[in-house]
Amino acid sequence: MVGPQYDCLVNPLGAVRSTFDKAMASGSDPSAFNGSDWGALDVFRQFLIDQSSLSQVPVLNPTTIGRIQPDTLVRFRGMIQDMLGNEFYVGAYKNDAVWRTNKYTDLPQFPMGEEPDMRIWERRLLYCVPVPGQNSWTESLSEVLPNGCMDWTSQQREKRPRMDDDASDHMDMVSDDECINSSCVKKMRGEGHASPSSSSQSKDSKMEGTSSSMIKIPDVDGDSLPCLVKIYDCPESELKLNEIFEFIGVFTMNSEVTVAKEDNSEVSDSFFEDELISFPANKVPRLHCLIHRKLEVHDFLHSSPMFELKPHLVREIRESLLGHLTVILGNDGIAAQFMLLHLLSKVHTRVDNVAVGKLSLNLTCLSKESVSVFGNRLNHAVKNLLPFTHCIPLSVEYLNTASLAPKKEYQTNRLIPGVLQLTEGSHLIIDETKLEAGTLNSNGVENTTLLKNLMEFQKVEYDFQYYKMEMTTDVQLLIFSEGKSNIVPADLVIPFQPSSADSIDAVPTEALEAWRWYLATVRSLPHSIETEIQKVIENDLVAARQADRSLGSQDFSRWLTMGRLMSASFGETTLSLEHWQMVKEMERLRRERLK
Amino acid sequence: MSSDSSFPRFNDGPSSPDDSISAPIDNTFSSPADSSRAGRGRGRRRRSTTPSAYATPPASHTRFSAAASSAENTPATTPSRLSRRSSSGRVPSPSSTDDVQPSSEAGDDMDDSTPTFVWGTNISVQDMKRAIDMFLKNCVENEERKYLKVIDRVLEMEGEWIDVDAHDVFEYSPDLYYKMVRYPLEVLAIFDIVLMDIISGINPLFEKHVQVRIYNLKESVAMRNLNPSDIEKMVSLKGMVIRCSSIIPEIREAIFRCLVCGYFSEAIGVDRGRISEPTTCLKQECLAKNSMTLVHNRCRFADKQIVRLQETPDDIPEGGTPHTVSLLMHDKLVDAGKPGDRVEVTGIYRAMSVRVGPTQRTVKALFKTYIDCLHIKKTDKSRMLDEDAMEVDNGPTRIEEDIQYDDSKVQKLKELSKRPDIYETLTRSMAPNIWELDDVKKGLLCQLFGGNALKLPSGASFRGDINILLVGDPGTSKSQLLQYIHKLSARGIYTSGRGSSAVGLTAYVARDPETGETTLESGALVLSDRGICCIDEFDKMSDNARSMLHEVMEQQTVSVAKAGIIASLNARTSVLACANPSGSRYNPRLSVIDNIHLPPTLLSRFDLIYLILDKADEQTDRRLAKHIVALHFQNPESAEQGVIDIATLTEYMSYARKHIHPQLSDEAAEELTRGYVELRRRGNFPGSSKKVITATPRQIESLIRLSEALARIRFSEWVEKPDVIEAFRLLEVAMQQSATDHSTGTIDMDLINTGVSASERMRRENLVSSARNIIMEKMQLGGPSMRLLELLEELKKLNTGSELHLHDLKTALTTLAGEGFVLVHGDSVKRI
Repeated sequence: MVGPQYDCLVNPLGAVRSTFDKAMASGSDPSAFNGSDWGALDVFRQFLIDQSSLSQVPVLNPTTIGRIQPDTLVRFRGMIQDMLGNEFYVGAYKNDAVWRTNKYTDLPQFPMGEEPDMRIWERRLLYCVPVPGQNSWTESLSEVLPNGCMDWTSQQREKRPRMDDDASDHMDMVSDDECINSSCVKKMRGEGHASPSSSSQSKDSKMEGTSSSMIKIPDVDGDSLPCLVKIYDCPESELKLNEIFEFIGVFTMNSEVTVAKEDNSEVSDSFFEDELISFPANKVPRLHCLIHRKLEVHDFLHSSPMFELKPHLVREIRESLLGHLTVILGNDGIAAQFMLLHLLSKVHTRVDNVAVGKLSLNLTCLSKESVSVFGNRLNHAVKNLLPFTHCIPLSVEYLNTASLAPKKEYQTNRLIPGVLQLTEGSHLIIDETKLEAGTLNSNGVENTTLLKNLMEFQKVEYDFQYYKMEMTTDVQLLIFSEGKSNIVPADLVIPFQPSSADSIDAVPTEALEAWRWYLATVRSLPHSIETEIQKVIENDLVAARQADRSLGSQDFSRWLTMGRLMSASFGETTLSLEHWQMVKEMERLRRERLK
Repeated sequence: MSSDSSFPRFNDGPSSPDDSISAPIDNTFSSPADSSRAGRGRGRRRRSTTPSAYATPPASHTRFSAAASSAENTPATTPSRLSRRSSSGRVPSPSSTDDVQPSSEAGDDMDDSTPTFVWGTNISVQDMKRAIDMFLKNCVENEERKYLKVIDRVLEMEGEWIDVDAHDVFEYSPDLYYKMVRYPLEVLAIFDIVLMDIISGINPLFEKHVQVRIYNLKESVAMRNLNPSDIEKMVSLKGMVIRCSSIIPEIREAIFRCLVCGYFSEAIGVDRGRISEPTTCLKQECLAKNSMTLVHNRCRFADKQIVRLQETPDDIPEGGTPHTVSLLMHDKLVDAGKPGDRVEVTGIYRAMSVRVGPTQRTVKALFKTYIDCLHIKKTDKSRMLDEDAMEVDNGPTRIEEDIQYDDSKVQKLKELSKRPDIYETLTRSMAPNIWELDDVKKGLLCQLFGGNALKLPSGASFRGDINILLVGDPGTSKSQLLQYIHKLSARGIYTSGRGSSAVGLTAYVARDPETGETTLESGALVLSDRGICCIDEFDKMSDNARSMLHEVMEQQTVSVAKAGIIASLNARTSVLACANPSGSRYNPRLSVIDNIHLPPTLLSRFDLIYLILDKADEQTDRRLAKHIVALHFQNPESAEQGVIDIATLTEYMSYARKHIHPQLSDEAAEELTRGYVELRRRGNFPGSSKKVITATPRQIESLIRLSEALARIRFSEWVEKPDVIEAFRLLEVAMQQSATDHSTGTIDMDLINTGVSASERMRRENLVSSARNIIMEKMQLGGPSMRLLELLEELKKLNTGSELHLHDLKTALTTLAGEGFVLVHGDSVKRI
């Protein structure tokens, strides 16, 4: 293997430029590229994937941002919150009769003004934020492996062929630990960075003219660090709003750039500098993306390779999880069964307005008192099981004041995130027990409609002021209420009947990990049905409808969803008669309770 | 200006100060230009963007530069045409006239000796001028010289621009069109020159400057597809105005006064986005240094506005957010579009570089893009297009019909209409996720297509809109149907009966808080003029509100007589209402009228009243079960075949509404008369006057409307007999009349035939007749009764082919009992 001329990690731009020079030397014409890749990506792909160096790439987060050098390679995981359109930039220009490129950077390497030969290329701007509602266990392993430093060093030594995600978590964990242990890690980090960067590179980086040592640490609020990602050569359909991606690219944070707008008092009139106004460069880092990949829930687990999809194993985990849920729900076994199905639900197809596969659950008979016990317990449990969770305590005041739907703010040309801008597979608890009689204002009415639409169609209307745009989502909804909730009519209503309120024992982390893995894996299983069982189901449905005229298509739809989830919960991909019977039995028990 | 010059543009040639466009932005963002750049720009351009270098002979190049320098240095002393231009306040044209002007003059001087070319291209200025001249003079429309006529009018009105349809340009000379799109700055400048030449030829004393505004390009770009290759080209795109800046006065000419001697300088024009203040007094006697001061009220300013345009919702791909683009408007275009307007803009896509700081010369490697607006056209794009434009805006912009059905599209729609099963296909495409209710959907389809409105010379008018009432058991997806129809017809209002008041539906008088004047505010029905007004929960509406509907539903107007205002507003709307039967569920023991429980006056105004009853029927249930199982386990695409997508559906519908106006054929008219007479006779069933809905003259109007709508669905200009027959069928099916017992006015629940297929109906009829035969054979009049099971055995012997159930037999016997042929008592049958 021919090693790259530059260290991709520390001087990615050097690598980009050297490939560009190479391409130029081989006689290519910059206008022929028209912005597309000339071979730079191959170098990085090789570096990151073939050499599995992904883990060495530092992760950009609030704790690490202060230490990461500009113009180095970083990773960022986030949800696409807003798309800011395209940006035209000088892609290639001539300096002293030599073509240079500006791809993957904000500022030209050489002063550009003197040589007017240039090509304009295009890139896309994405505004990314950390995934809303992301639970801490997805980021940090500190509970699991208290000795972070050790682990990090060991990571350095061993080659890990497949556990990219795992590595990232370790890295995160390092950054967490650094607060305590900073001197040690800093030293290590310093070494880690100093050793590969040869003298030639350090010279090179100096030439780039960024005062690297003087980077301001952004005052991000709390632990959310947004990032402005600039995407090159990528079809539009590949990146969608609210999806989670990992971006690997060049980190820049040029405080100089912001100077421009300071005496631009007329800025509001001109709206030409929107991005700069809303994203001061010293607050929002820029990432010039080289490689991106879509992340699934699996990517947030630590232990995916630990298990294999074996029937008995799945059964075991299912039993233990069911037991855990039963304990949490105060020995209400039926509720636990339904809860399990609920946690596995996922929209798998949409036919017109019908989102097939959703299964929202409404636990009724929860008073204010019991919700403080069981509600909190459940909330905690769900948090521990699923990567992205939210809880909305519904009250008249909340409905009247909160902005649930994302709204486009034209003053800044930004999409202001709302509570319901959630990524696919998020879990949302709506606690209705605190709701009291009161008057809703127009905002409140709008918010209730939003919740209702989310529940019924799994769609959220984004407010673009002049019109509304429906965005599809896939959110699992769990509602706590005293009676049946009318604001958010759930698919499943089950009166909650706890028989004990014993405190729960701490759950061993291995079990937690197994459950997380189970939920993530089983959820994404494919599913089909045999014609025989299809006949049985049809007959059952017809008989049920003959017996009870009040049953409608929604009920049938729910039964089938439950059937599907039931067989999936056993790790099976086809619906068997046994599971269908179980569903019918569950439904019978539920109806009995409702009486 | 420097920002511009660092970018390869075609017009900043030697002579190009190009102030008119880039200046506004540069004023805000960038600082002084260095004139040395112009030279560089020139050189660069020659190198990089001249595809055919031969086009620019060196000789002309030098002449260009000379002309350029003269134009730059002494703008006020350039030949007459130029000075007139600059004094006449020519701002909005994005093309900087000055840059081409000198060259054209040079061309004038030399005339045919050497051709002059537009910089960096092989476009000869003279050829261009000639072509444009020919175009303006010879473009013919309706056997008139279109543009000469326009010019005449402009001269009369003292207008400031003429609109030039790009389609005309293309038809006249595709070459000219492509050159114009590719090099808009240059070509438009020549266009302006030629236009002024023509004008001065007609009226040498005309002082105003007239510009050319191009609109209606052949191709319009989607906003998100704008890319670097579009820069400096003419583009046309649609979008929605989301923000307008305040109007920015932009200086065009400045006059300075010497503080020492009071000498006024000559007007100094903008050069590369800035005006250079004279450092010394220009008066020979004074020559005081740094004494010049700007005289504000003698300077000339022009309006400028920056408008932000956003993609319309239909252009946004799934999972994306809308893109935006900035527009630069000048002079008359300022305030032409207001936030919320949907517009189509023609302009030149431009890019300018961004400086690192206002005082720094270094530029960032970034470009900001905007569109220099040439023409703006408001579009009112509703889903369902109607005959007349709702708003007529007399503003400076032209409003035209939005959707021009191009030939290929029309062809496609026509082909669709030729399909034999188009009626069924359209029915299937309507709300495909709502199960069954095919006949209801057919009725709604008729409502969407509508009949012909007729206005007699005597002043009497007949509405063409079809009103539909859906009455049905809860949970029969009435509301979903309503929502769907509401979505399909964009001009329409969806209200709920309980939440609507009488005035909220019609119109109300409000007092303007500022002026104290009374104003009329439109209610839902007026707002849905030429659309469909969907009213949910019709039965829960207050009587007062409901009574307001009487006028709307027949006369199609809303009359208001209130303090200070007596007015009649148009409300040509179709009403689609849905209600639950009185007592929430349909009570089979009561008559239809008692179940619906709405005043007959209102009921008769509905063309179709659908009773959607939820009846236990194994077959329907089975189909429902199959449907849902398929939904969950099969590929949903394959489950629905032959469905027309919603966009095509609306297109089809609006085309039909606009272009198809069917008339009754003689045969159809005959059938109508015959059917109506029969309908009347049925209503005259003895003792039934109050129990069933009797046919009134209104019914025949409904039938005409329905059959017209059915003909429209087929794109047929003639209403034929089958249309009328289908209209009768719809009317019958809607009321379940076939199942109504006319003596009591109740519906025999077992006879309801919604969802019963024709073959099933046939089978039942056969069963009835064979049962009758057996009874005739086996039983004597008034003789002993026969057990049901025995009868069943007999029947089974008779038709061995098909399966027979007791249930079926019971149904048949009920029919026979209805005829007064037998008496069914529990388990036994008796012939009477």
